[in-house]
Amino acid sequence: MSNNINARCVVTGLGMVNAIGKNVEECWENALKGTPGIDKVKSVNSDNCYAHLGAEVADENIEINDKVDRVSSLCLQASKEALKDAGIDGNVDADRMGVIMGSCVGGVVSIENYIEKGEKTEDINKMSIASIANHVANMAGAKGVVTNIGNACAASTMSVAYACELIRAGVGDVFIAGGADAFASVPFAGFTALHALSENACSPFNHSNGITLGEGAGAIIVESYEHAVKRGAHIYCDVLSAGISSDAHHITAPRPDGIGQMYAIRRALDKSGVDKKDLDYINAHGTGTAKNDEAEFLSIHTIFDDSNDHLSVSSTKAMVGHCLGAAGAIEAVYAIKALTDNKVPPTIGYSAEDLEALKEKAGKIDFMPNDMKEKELNYVMSNSFAFGGSNASIIFAKNEGKMSESENDEDIYITGLGIVTPVGNGVENYIEKVKGGETITSGNLVSELGKEDFDKFDIKLAFYRKLDKLSTMQVVSGIEAINNSGFTFNDDNAEDFGMIIGTGDGPLTTVYEFQEHISKEGTQNGSAFNFPNTVYNAAGGYLSIKTGMRGYNVTITNGNQSGLASVCYAANEIKQNRAAAMLASGTDENSAVMNKLYTQLGLVSDAKSDIYADEKGMNLSDGSVTIALEKASQADSHSAKKYAKIAGYAMTHECVEYGTVKGSDEGLAKAINEACKDAGINADKIDAVFGFGNGIKDVDDIEKNVYAKVFNKAIPVINVKDYVGEARAAAATLSAAHAALTLAGELGDSQNAYIFNGGEVKKDKVDTKNFEYCLATSYGVGGSYSAVVLKRV
Amino acid sequence: MNEKELAIAARIKEMLSENLRIPAEELDYEIPLFGDGIGLDSVDSLEIIACIDSEYGVAMTGVAKENFYNITSLTKYVVENM
Repeated sequence: MSNNINARCVVTGLGMVNAIGKNVEECWENALKGTPGIDKVKSVNSDNCYAHLGAEVADENIEINDKVDRVSSLCLQASKEALKDAGIDGNVDADRMGVIMGSCVGGVVSIENYIEKGEKTEDINKMSIASIANHVANMAGAKGVVTNIGNACAASTMSVAYACELIRAGVGDVFIAGGADAFASVPFAGFTALHALSENACSPFNHSNGITLGEGAGAIIVESYEHAVKRGAHIYCDVLSAGISSDAHHITAPRPDGIGQMYAIRRALDKSGVDKKDLDYINAHGTGTAKNDEAEFLSIHTIFDDSNDHLSVSSTKAMVGHCLGAAGAIEAVYAIKALTDNKVPPTIGYSAEDLEALKEKAGKIDFMPNDMKEKELNYVMSNSFAFGGSNASIIFAKNEGKMSESENDEDIYITGLGIVTPVGNGVENYIEKVKGGETITSGNLVSELGKEDFDKFDIKLAFYRKLDKLSTMQVVSGIEAINNSGFTFNDDNAEDFGMIIGTGDGPLTTVYEFQEHISKEGTQNGSAFNFPNTVYNAAGGYLSIKTGMRGYNVTITNGNQSGLASVCYAANEIKQNRAAAMLASGTDENSAVMNKLYTQLGLVSDAKSDIYADEKGMNLSDGSVTIALEKASQADSHSAKKYAKIAGYAMTHECVEYGTVKGSDEGLAKAINEACKDAGINADKIDAVFGFGNGIKDVDDIEKNVYAKVFNKAIPVINVKDYVGEARAAAATLSAAHAALTLAGELGDSQNAYIFNGGEVKKDKVDTKNFEYCLATSYGVGGSYSAVVLKRV
Repeated sequence: MNEKELAIAARIKEMLSENLRIPAEELDYEIPLFGDGIGLDSVDSLEIIACIDSEYGVAMTGVAKENFYNITSLTKYVVENM
């Protein structure tokens, strides 16, 4: 087990599928030959649109699995190839193997199928991005950290970076990292509405008149060096550091001054210990839109012009299209193949005239027009930039690098809270409700935000009218948490402040409504106004735009527990010195659409459910809860109130069918034990659990079974869903927030709790004033669990 | 404005309110739509262009931006190009 911030992470397996091939070998050989994968689209009706091209995967090149969405079929195919390539087949410790997958639109093909083909129940669990990593984990038998990253077109570069962070944090040995996206009507209609599609094949760094959408998947086996050597694996290369940043500028357009991109590129170089003069190749984001190409051109020229005389830059999107959430992983595989084969793939599509124009703007940089080149490569970079202003750069090296990431051993504290719930907004309101014992009286609860909330946080009409409900809740809870903590930052240190947003269902309502509209009105009639809100990281993007936080900014999605996994993720970013302070959020929306889908799944009760007792179903609800986390010195710099200390945390997985939890007890037990171990305590030291039961029998049973085994005593369980309903990811974050408020003495000396004793549960009042350690737990369908131990300050 | 212009202006106001989530009470026919105040941007203008095209068959892609100044100028452009 490596537990060293600069531990070597190596690549031991690759998998890929895209428009020019069904496996790595085909995709690579065709890229070197400059094979165009762009053709008239078949899977989307573009009849009345101005553009008709796409880079789809041919039917004979995809192994369709009818039980999952097309995006998961693509992802499974690439992941299987990567595992086989790495020689992994049940021969590694499952508890230390994880899956991190990125996607932009997830199972949006299933949303279209649901709407247009009879609203079949079987399509519902295929809709969310969250299912993708779960399917891969099931296939591989992975029981470590499993999650999905939803940062649009930067998602899968971030997933590779996060996998390495986790290996270096010592929580895993092997990760299947990457991402996937399927060709679908929603992005096609959205980019049509934005006039961002090119009428001809996209022409990055050349004509730059728009993108051509593609589809595919990329999977990379990332492994600790020691682990790879021990099992005699073939090592492709090292993965060095990454740079992740947020533009804090615009929801769709990159900053014209390239500041966010340049921060990501420079951070990756700096922490990787790679001098900019030594970088040999960049697989660019290179989408082919004027705005991207201008900003990326500027960033690359600004950083490398004076020092590097041999840099090659190409965009493989000219061949495989823009594969959105899969782009980062596919391009990382291309970058790795370039590095190991010493061959640089070209950017195709330059005419003789274009080549003349390129000479003028290229300077010393070789933009690789039309033909591949053989060249000795030692360091390569892959760039991905996304909607929401998300930027990610990562570096791969042929040999061991000289990384210079650093760790801090300061304690991490919860210093601020922001709460949006159907029973009112604001921390004070929540405290009042809990102290007054005001529990909910029915299900189907919806948070409300109005002018009063916007005025309170100085959010203007010109800003908030663009946001959908999910983003609005996120922005309000995020700003409240910052204000509640009192931390401030300025233009010089805005990169030290970041956020992890967790969401179970993300913008599913907005995506559904967008699809419903184009199903009725045609692909040519998508809404340019609503499309930006269909990406999962829009909420985090808006929060960064509103606050100016330009640091690490990632949205994770894997069921309800995303709202607690965000706390684990954010704490790790502080520990690994990528941030002085982080926001960790959980946000989920209730709507007519969500209610309909959950009702059809048979999970909802409109009457108040008696949690752990009557098994009626969940009281569907929504909200956004944000926790501000700061390292001790940062908190002390502004005399922040410390609600509680983050003493330990863990994320685990137990493979069960996606959409279910039954049989995954072991995952929760493992999460609790690992979190306690991380906190340096025995589980018996836990004074109370802030649990996740919601009135669904299978969910409630997991807690009953596991707490009876893990705790050798009667243990009080306090459940926030009694106060706000099943707000999914928001409830998961609220469990930790409620625990922090309890430890800080904000909720009085006693609270209503469920006393779990053996298999029995009875309600009683518990004295909370001497609580020392509290444990927050949460679950995700598919068997993922998070646990966080909080300690009284 | 004549009766026809008033009807078009009212419809444009309705579209702005419905499609761009601008509260109707914030909109009159003279208030500047871009810049401070209502604060529309390039993405919003695409939505306006799409709405006017589908409602009146008037193409406004590439049209000078003063025509997008307020509801009155949009109405004028629609009337002159219907």
